[in-house]
Amino acid sequence: MAQVVVMPKQGNTVESCIIVAWHVKEGDLVQPETPLCDVETDKATFEVPAGVAGVVLKLLYPEGEDVPVLHPIAVIGEAGEAWETALGQKEHKEDTRGSLSARGQEEKKLGPLPTSPEEAIPGRAMHSASVESSSQEMKPSSPIPADHIPISPRARKRAEKEAVPPYHLSGSGPEGRIIERDVEAYLEKRPPLTAAARATLIESRNSGSPRAGYGNDVSGEFQELTSVPAEGSGIGGRIREEDLSSFVSSQGKEKDRSFPPGVSQKGAFTSQKEKETPVSGPEGPIITPIKGIRKVIAERMWQSLATTAQFTLHSHGSARKMLALRQEFKESPEALGLRNITINDMILFLVSRLLLQYSYMNAHMVDEQLITYQDVHLGMAVDTPRGLMVPVIRYANRCSLVEISRQAKRLAQACLDGTISPDDLTGSTFTVTNLGSVGVESFTPVLNVPEVAILGVCSIEPRAIQGPGGNVVLEPHIGFSLTINHQVVDGAPAARFLQALVQAVEQFDLWMAL
Amino acid sequence: MWLMKEQNKEGKTMSDFDVIILGGGPAGYQAAERLGSNHRKVLLIEPQFLGGTCLNVGCIPTKTLLHSAKLYLHSREAAAFGVTVEGLRYDWESMQGWKEEVVTKLREGIAFQMKRAGVTVIEGWGRLIAPPQGTEPARVQISQGERVGEEYRAPAVLVCTGSVPLLPPIPGIQNNPAVVDSTGLLGMREVPQNLVVVGGGVIGVEFAGLFSAFGVPVTVIEMTDEILPFMDRELAPLLRKSFKEVDFRLGCRVEKIEGNILFYTNREGKGEQITADRILMAVGRRPQIGGWGAETVGLDVRSQGVVVDEWMRTTVPGIWAAGDVTGRSLLAHGAYRMADVASRDILAYLEGEGSGRGIFRMRWEAIPWVVYGMNEAAGVGLTEQDAQRQGIPYKKVTVPLKVSGRFVAENGFGIPGTCKVLADPHKGRILGIHLVGPYASEIIWGAALILEQELRIQDVRELIFPHPTVSEVLRDAVWAFE
Repeated sequence: MAQVVVMPKQGNTVESCIIVAWHVKEGDLVQPETPLCDVETDKATFEVPAGVAGVVLKLLYPEGEDVPVLHPIAVIGEAGEAWETALGQKEHKEDTRGSLSARGQEEKKLGPLPTSPEEAIPGRAMHSASVESSSQEMKPSSPIPADHIPISPRARKRAEKEAVPPYHLSGSGPEGRIIERDVEAYLEKRPPLTAAARATLIESRNSGSPRAGYGNDVSGEFQELTSVPAEGSGIGGRIREEDLSSFVSSQGKEKDRSFPPGVSQKGAFTSQKEKETPVSGPEGPIITPIKGIRKVIAERMWQSLATTAQFTLHSHGSARKMLALRQEFKESPEALGLRNITINDMILFLVSRLLLQYSYMNAHMVDEQLITYQDVHLGMAVDTPRGLMVPVIRYANRCSLVEISRQAKRLAQACLDGTISPDDLTGSTFTVTNLGSVGVESFTPVLNVPEVAILGVCSIEPRAIQGPGGNVVLEPHIGFSLTINHQVVDGAPAARFLQALVQAVEQFDLWMAL
Repeated sequence: MWLMKEQNKEGKTMSDFDVIILGGGPAGYQAAERLGSNHRKVLLIEPQFLGGTCLNVGCIPTKTLLHSAKLYLHSREAAAFGVTVEGLRYDWESMQGWKEEVVTKLREGIAFQMKRAGVTVIEGWGRLIAPPQGTEPARVQISQGERVGEEYRAPAVLVCTGSVPLLPPIPGIQNNPAVVDSTGLLGMREVPQNLVVVGGGVIGVEFAGLFSAFGVPVTVIEMTDEILPFMDRELAPLLRKSFKEVDFRLGCRVEKIEGNILFYTNREGKGEQITADRILMAVGRRPQIGGWGAETVGLDVRSQGVVVDEWMRTTVPGIWAAGDVTGRSLLAHGAYRMADVASRDILAYLEGEGSGRGIFRMRWEAIPWVVYGMNEAAGVGLTEQDAQRQGIPYKKVTVPLKVSGRFVAENGFGIPGTCKVLADPHKGRILGIHLVGPYASEIIWGAALILEQELRIQDVRELIFPHPTVSEVLRDAVWAFE
């Protein structure tokens, strides 16, 4: 019996993953542990193992597609088995559960902290590569997994009437929900259909059974008419019935037919070309679509600056004691395991302690509410080849300096390797970002919303200060750039926190006792 | 793209025009008007009269005479409708005069249209002497009678040389004063005492109807077993029966003509003969594919016409063809549409849009046809025979015109009238609409629209047809489907 492999649910906050690369092709023999593909969340990359042994019957999405979690990505079964049957059954099951409400439930859980596994939606697998087996009694329906698309009832009705596949629409409603306006926008772009062509499109979407003449490919296998040509051959470019059938057959010739055509959320006329990256002319500029992690960063950064009142304060303090201590760590017996403690680790340590005293800095602003946390989950910005990542040291306030140091090393390495778990990338209550190691003297960090503050660690520079004898001496000073959300934190309280930090840095040895 | 002046300065070849059109018939003058209105320099070369076969010796003169014939016939039969006409007679000479007036007026209208569109019209015979090559324009030479005249150049040439009556190789038709073609018959000084028509196509049937209305005994000799071979086999006999006075001899093969006597073999294979004052040769028309340089420029020309694609492009870039010369549709309205398509493509070509093919292209399957007479027939789309031949599934209905109030009021029950509709058996998409009855010619454009729009039975049911009209039969037909 064919088994459906679904996009694994990666942690509790990941809604969808991008298929980066398929490691198998249709017809390949796989074992349960065989990696099927690499998928990328907004923060990390994972492998999806097959989960069952068998023959890969169908890969449902091309590389580069963003697929919602728990949605089918492949079908594995015995050679010669019909993959549609397995899918049809699965779809039906989801329908009865009501995918929209399930989705809504998920969304409500997008809280700051990881939800516990017990709260997960019943029946939904929590592990990587969950496999759902199919049973025969259910009626097969459309082979295209389209029911996950959030769409208003009005828009759905309209789309059905006008033969618009919902996955051609980009939603402009709340949370990307497709509303009637989106259907109208699509219809404006689509050339008009003749009455018969419209009927054929609607029929092909509503019934899975083959119809004479149209919608059959060479092998006789039914194919849903998901796309329409950009122009038809009828009056004024109207799309005629013949245009639909010839479009399907020409697509079949030109395109890789292993994927359902038009499975894309990029808009009506996504061509194969658009998916190739990057695109460049012989001497022209290089055009790279913004997607994956970069797209997430782009959205978050914009959202951060667009929704908060950011205000940055700069200060600096003597790093003499920290540098001395760092030297001592380096020279300490290896058995103690302190040799790799860095200046940044020491700042993380101080911040994790200080925040307990300045809890208004260890907070989230969510929907007109300020949530102040009693523990410190410290985010640390890590630069990776794929972009910025912010892993979280959980309960940093309860960790010793060496524990914080070890956690920081482990998380940074996992980010660089692309093996970081999405759960390690969510739930921070305060973030530290460090550009000092590359010589930046001061900068304006961007808030990691919904956090209300972020600390930028700057370089250590020699500064002239008045020495004990009244003469001018040079002392190494470390700089700090603290950005706050002025909506909820005022300048003076922020400055007090910064002042306390500077003092703590200068008296680092004392803080070691805490 | 075509920098005429610059090229001239450099001493290179020069384009006198943007487009040269060979032939001033429906395709030629329509294209000239379209291109000229788009501010293109157009040269139209026509050897005789603007308007071509259609206006001068075809559609228009026959319709003029048919109108006179209808008036005469209706007057003769008016008693049945309570009107008595005394002293009824017809005057062929006056009819000819009226016909000339109509044709001249319309021809002047075309000339004015050309002037308004800035089209240069030269009377003469145009001949391609070189195709366009690279930036070199095509060259066309004009001859007037014996005199070989000017040479003109243009980057684009549109061939609309039309068609000529086909004269079959029947012994005794050459140099026989009794044998005429349609042009000859139209120009006759007197009505023939009796007429034999060879060929039961559109032309033969129209002339048969025309002269039989004046009481001239008419015999139609048709080789196949029914007239109008393109018509639905269910409807063609109905139309044939409308010509009550015409003697149709079907399945008969003409063997020879000796003077006024025509010898033929009948359906049973028996030799028969018939004597006639005039014998009309109406076996069809053939595209005018010779005499204008097709071979010189290397066009692909078959016996059925110049080969063109859906954008009316010939096999030689820079040369288009439209109208009868393509052999695709020997109808003036087909020619108009071909001219529109060719003009659009030529404009794109001149603007340097290269080989991009627009959505504006020729669709051959929804060209309506019309047969005129005392009764009319018209159709568009598939006939039942077409569907059977092509293996296309269909369902059909046939509704008599007796359901139409206007039809009965104006015609009684004496003349046949029928509407037949073919549709896809599953989806109900209309595949063909065929009519026999008065006004059929004026109704059929709507049927073409239904086909072009791919409307289904249920869609046509939503249309509102004016009452009382003959067109209502179409509504009744779509409601007659189960």
